[in-house]
Amino acid sequence: MKKISRRSFLIATGAIAAATAMTACSGGSTGKANTTASSAASAAPETVDPSKYEVTEPITITWWHALESQYDELVADVVKKFNATQSLITVEAQYIGSYKDINEALVAAHAAGTGLPAVAVANTDYVASYGDSGLYENLDPYIAGTGYDVDDFSAGLLLSSQYEGKQVALPFLHSTQVIYYNKTMADENGWTIPEKIEDFTPFLAEVHSKKGIYGTVVPGWDQWYFETMYLNEGVQIITGDNDCDLNSETALGVTNMIKGWCDAGDAYFAAGTDASATMRQNFYDQKTFSVMHTSSLYNNYVSKCPDFEVGMAWYPAATTGDKNSEVGGCVLGIPSKNDQATKNAAWQFLQFLCGKEVNMEWAEGTGYLPTRNSVLNTEEGKEFLEKKPAFQCIFDNLNLINPRIQNAAWSELATTWKNYMEVMMNQDGDVTSGSNDMVTEINEILEDHA
Amino acid sequence: MKQAAAGSTPVVKADKKPFFSQRTLSKIVDFLFVVPALVLLAVFTYYPIVKLVQISFTDWNLLNDTWKYVGLKNWNWLFAGSGAKYLWNSLKVTFLYSMGEILVTMVGGMLLALLFNRLTSSFSLMRAFVFVPKYVAMSSAAVVFLWILNTDAGVLNYMLQCIGLPAVDWLNQQSTALPSVLMLTGWRVIGYGMMIYLSAMIGISPEYYEAASLDGANGFQKFFRITLPLLSPTTLFLLVTTFLSSMKVFQSVDILTSGGPARSTEVFVYLIYRYAMVDFRMDRASTAAVMFFLILLTITILTMKISDRSVTYDS
Repeated sequence: MKKISRRSFLIATGAIAAATAMTACSGGSTGKANTTASSAASAAPETVDPSKYEVTEPITITWWHALESQYDELVADVVKKFNATQSLITVEAQYIGSYKDINEALVAAHAAGTGLPAVAVANTDYVASYGDSGLYENLDPYIAGTGYDVDDFSAGLLLSSQYEGKQVALPFLHSTQVIYYNKTMADENGWTIPEKIEDFTPFLAEVHSKKGIYGTVVPGWDQWYFETMYLNEGVQIITGDNDCDLNSETALGVTNMIKGWCDAGDAYFAAGTDASATMRQNFYDQKTFSVMHTSSLYNNYVSKCPDFEVGMAWYPAATTGDKNSEVGGCVLGIPSKNDQATKNAAWQFLQFLCGKEVNMEWAEGTGYLPTRNSVLNTEEGKEFLEKKPAFQCIFDNLNLINPRIQNAAWSELATTWKNYMEVMMNQDGDVTSGSNDMVTEINEILEDHA
Repeated sequence: MKQAAAGSTPVVKADKKPFFSQRTLSKIVDFLFVVPALVLLAVFTYYPIVKLVQISFTDWNLLNDTWKYVGLKNWNWLFAGSGAKYLWNSLKVTFLYSMGEILVTMVGGMLLALLFNRLTSSFSLMRAFVFVPKYVAMSSAAVVFLWILNTDAGVLNYMLQCIGLPAVDWLNQQSTALPSVLMLTGWRVIGYGMMIYLSAMIGISPEYYEAASLDGANGFQKFFRITLPLLSPTTLFLLVTTFLSSMKVFQSVDILTSGGPARSTEVFVYLIYRYAMVDFRMDRASTAAVMFFLILLTITILTMKISDRSVTYDS
């Protein structure tokens, strides 16, 4: 079976909840999760010859990334710094496109066995399929051979870049789901984003009736934005029996809740062409009070909204009381079909990209979260929070950020889910029959991958 | 030659008969000229088709290096499993799209050809304006149409609102998404249809029209009794080429709608692309591709058969 079992998932989730990682700022600390994550990573061979991973000849390697043109300077600066640290490796950074574009290009290059980059980013939900297929190199021997310190990463992030206990990638740029809202409007009207989902529905209705605008927008182009609402209500999505439970009563409740918001005009489900850009534009133009989006776009939202203050809030807690979220963003890995010399050079660069030295530079320059405990505990980490106080809601809940569901069938499942949700939300599809059809299809996918 | 025995008459052996006759040799030489093209065809066309059929009987996922034969599993999934509804949906969408493109190319092209059938410089300029979009790269044109059709900031909705009509969410509604893709297609292909019809119209002898005028025929009668029948080879050419090219539409759909909303613009090639490059299911993609190949082959043969009986080549 090519997925983590329910038990493993719960253990991982529990471990993260207890993580010491990043919790210095939020005040809680246990140290248990670090042990769990690193123990998985340390399942590496006991004796590894370090000389096997040395770079001995000059080499030029490529790095495929998804950082758009506004980050050109930052990328160039980091690459320049790396190139200056040593004399044998020259890195060429290449912007390929979105995570989806990189995924397509990477899988095609992997199948062809040629044209592969030395290092490539991948959205967190591709880790399982890359680990399962062997597209990404198992980094455990490299970590063991070079003594690389992975325990400094947040445990949740480390788990997000593992597959079946193997460290197939390293945490790079991470984010989580948040609600951006018009803080100026909220202050004027005495509104705060409700902490419970049962209060959220009337809240959206109030915003709609009072201001004539949408209360929020639910992104439908990526299931990551709404799946957390299902998980918090207790829906497993993939059960321990390798079945999908998105047609369970609980799941139908969540789907009907979102559909209710949309049908009432209190929210809309953003799907289709340019859905993300249109959603953002609606927020900038104050046609919606809030949007559900990724924390990595904080800089972008703030810069585009000079007329009002942008607030950031955590998703409301489910009726169960759970208010977990999931890791987003990307990891870094080394395509396994590269030759060993390229892999060795890639490993050197990978360590640098994920290292303490540039960790805060990434976080400040992009809006992604710092990934290193040691960085968060420094003065730099405190300064980061002072510069971006809206991130307080994330720092308060860092121990609630969970790894994604790791299943080789996830990508296919997610596409099917998104498509059905679009029909149910925007095309008057019936929730019950639509969910049943969807689950039938997803179960076929799960069976195929089992 | 061996020396003949002493005293006997020397024997002169006849010239050896060549292995190939002159005619056969000539055929071989001719064939050798075709060999490079045949090799290219074999490598880049026939081998991929054979491979495609082979993959359709496997479980190959692009992510994996290994695969195994699964018999008719993919075919069963495509026709009787959950793939069936997507197959029929994409066939329906492709058919609707093709009909739209054929209509625009042939009817629109014919009307414009009749309108611009004047050999003056001003008409030449207008013809050029109509024809130029054919040479604009589809990707560039599609991006421009994305802006034109944008719900909030698009020029089209701005114009609609100027005359008091409501804005339309062109690309995100099932009812308007396919017509929106056809708008782009029409803008690109209508000039091509016009040029093909124009060149054929110029080739029709004016004597037919003079004779018809002497017989008292009006414009409509001349068009339906002379122009249209004599344009039938051109019409057939446009029908076949437009149909085949429209069945293979992909780029405009990919850029404008990505097959959505709710698969309402998921044409057949996009379906194949989705299986291959989104789900990485090369097995399913190959099965759909073989199916598509067979459909195109059948329709082309049928079209050619029908045309043999109904097209006039005498102009």
